[in-house]
Amino acid sequence: MIDSKPQTPDLTTRLGSLTLKNPLIAASGVFGYGLELAEFCPPAQLGAVICKGISLEPWPGNPGPRAVEAAGGLVNAIGLENMGVEAFLRQALPPLKATQAVVGANVIGHELADYARLARILADSPVDFLELNISCPNLAQGGLSFGSDPDLAARLTEAAVNPAGPKPVWVKLPPLVTDIALLAKKVANAGAAAISLINTVPALVINARTQRAVLGNLTGGLSGPPIKPLALRQTFLCAQAVKTPIVGMGGILRAEDVVEFILAGATATQIATAILVDPRSPLTILTDLRTWLTREKVVSLASLRGALKGANNP
Amino acid sequence: MTDAPTITQAPVLALTWRGQNLFQLTILAPPGDWGDPGRLAKLRAWGQPPAGQPLLDRPFSVHRYRPGARELDFLIRVVGPGTQALAQLRPGQTLQITGPLGQGLRRLQPDFPQTPLYLVAGGVGLAPQANLLDQLQAPAHLFYGERRGQALIDHDYLAGLAPNFTAISEDGLGYGQKGQVTEPLLAALNQERRAIFACGPPGLLTALAPVARTYKVPYWASVEAFLACGLGVCLSCSRALTDGSRIRLCQDGPVVDGLTLDWGKP
Repeated sequence: MIDSKPQTPDLTTRLGSLTLKNPLIAASGVFGYGLELAEFCPPAQLGAVICKGISLEPWPGNPGPRAVEAAGGLVNAIGLENMGVEAFLRQALPPLKATQAVVGANVIGHELADYARLARILADSPVDFLELNISCPNLAQGGLSFGSDPDLAARLTEAAVNPAGPKPVWVKLPPLVTDIALLAKKVANAGAAAISLINTVPALVINARTQRAVLGNLTGGLSGPPIKPLALRQTFLCAQAVKTPIVGMGGILRAEDVVEFILAGATATQIATAILVDPRSPLTILTDLRTWLTREKVVSLASLRGALKGANNP
Repeated sequence: MTDAPTITQAPVLALTWRGQNLFQLTILAPPGDWGDPGRLAKLRAWGQPPAGQPLLDRPFSVHRYRPGARELDFLIRVVGPGTQALAQLRPGQTLQITGPLGQGLRRLQPDFPQTPLYLVAGGVGLAPQANLLDQLQAPAHLFYGERRGQALIDHDYLAGLAPNFTAISEDGLGYGQKGQVTEPLLAALNQERRAIFACGPPGLLTALAPVARTYKVPYWASVEAFLACGLGVCLSCSRALTDGSRIRLCQDGPVVDGLTLDWGKP
């Protein structure tokens, strides 16, 4: 009998100019400013961490209740409460970068100029990349989200890409648009270094007895296991449409979920609601992913990218 | 004593029914400072999602803590699938516990055991009062109200927790008086002014702020909120203070100075 040592699967993930040690990224909003959960999940052990959405000035967020469990998932309307870019760069970022973690800054604003200014400020900072949240309401257009109009999303991307200088700019897409592939093409052509998707799914939770919405903001965004099939389908459509790397997310709880997003065409994945359920979950998923790939004799995750074999009609 | 929360499996030592849909769950305490009245733990007695539901752990304040025996009690009312699963636990089984979380009364009032107090409990807001009463060396009176008298905790158990108490319900059924919990509190404040520690539904806690201002007494409230992470990152439990700054109830609370929380901004 030949005693051959099993090959450790290669999880190194290249996303344009960035090289990540693995394809697991902590999503914006569930990992704070990167260090709050370090006792449970050291940020440097992940491919990257994306900090809470950052605006030019601090935002107070929405009135409560801000979150509720529904349909096996989570509906939240936190309202992007954050400390503002100045405090982020002064207080939050230096200790996080000291851990050697790869750090993304999620960028939020109410008009194109907000994104351009934030990109210029972050261009000179130690963040490794930017991720534009284009689901924010555009005040110039009566609060319609930037992402609801592919041309506007492209202009927003352009507005941030130039001032961001050498920093890669990712664009995070909302899930419910008429043509997600068109949206992906527009932001890719506008210079997005990667496309991350999906943001939460617009949702309304009602209490029949009180005849009121449960959330203080009326509506919120659904995340977690219920949105995974939608996220996989949108990931698949975008990966078919563009060569730009796709970062898939939506309901990832287990290693198999990561594999499914890679098969649909994603290069990397983001973990969100699972971290709220258990802050150790990214490390559990990472261990399980190595085990899964070894067992399935897959030497590199990249070899599975977009390898979906089609419909179940052999 | 360590203060950082841990996520551990803890053995169940006992489950004792203390009233209608109301039980006391006793577990072996993980390391941590559980004695600060109001501190929280997240409990999970079901599997991990997607199969294991509900999705999130459920938060509870510590009911009683016996550090010598390393016994930790929670007082839990069955209201949904999470609390139903906890009610099925039997001695010898384990549950997942994350904690201790947040800050109790000790941070706001380090000498609370020597402070004469009026304790106000609405419903299962009774839970953290026992942790406080167990350490109190000063006079205290507990005002405990339920909407329905049938929901009042077992009389003898309550008498064992609090030497001096007034039980009250809106329908007057059961052993309590009929009325609102604030009525006997106001009567007592008219006799003697004391600081107030309260835990209960938002309406009650909000109503006590003007009472404390009128009588010029300190007011500490243990405030409930939906918690997703309980670890300070998701901001589900963020609340405004009157100076415009914000706190996270899971980190900076749940016990807050009731005169500085902005009760008008939920």
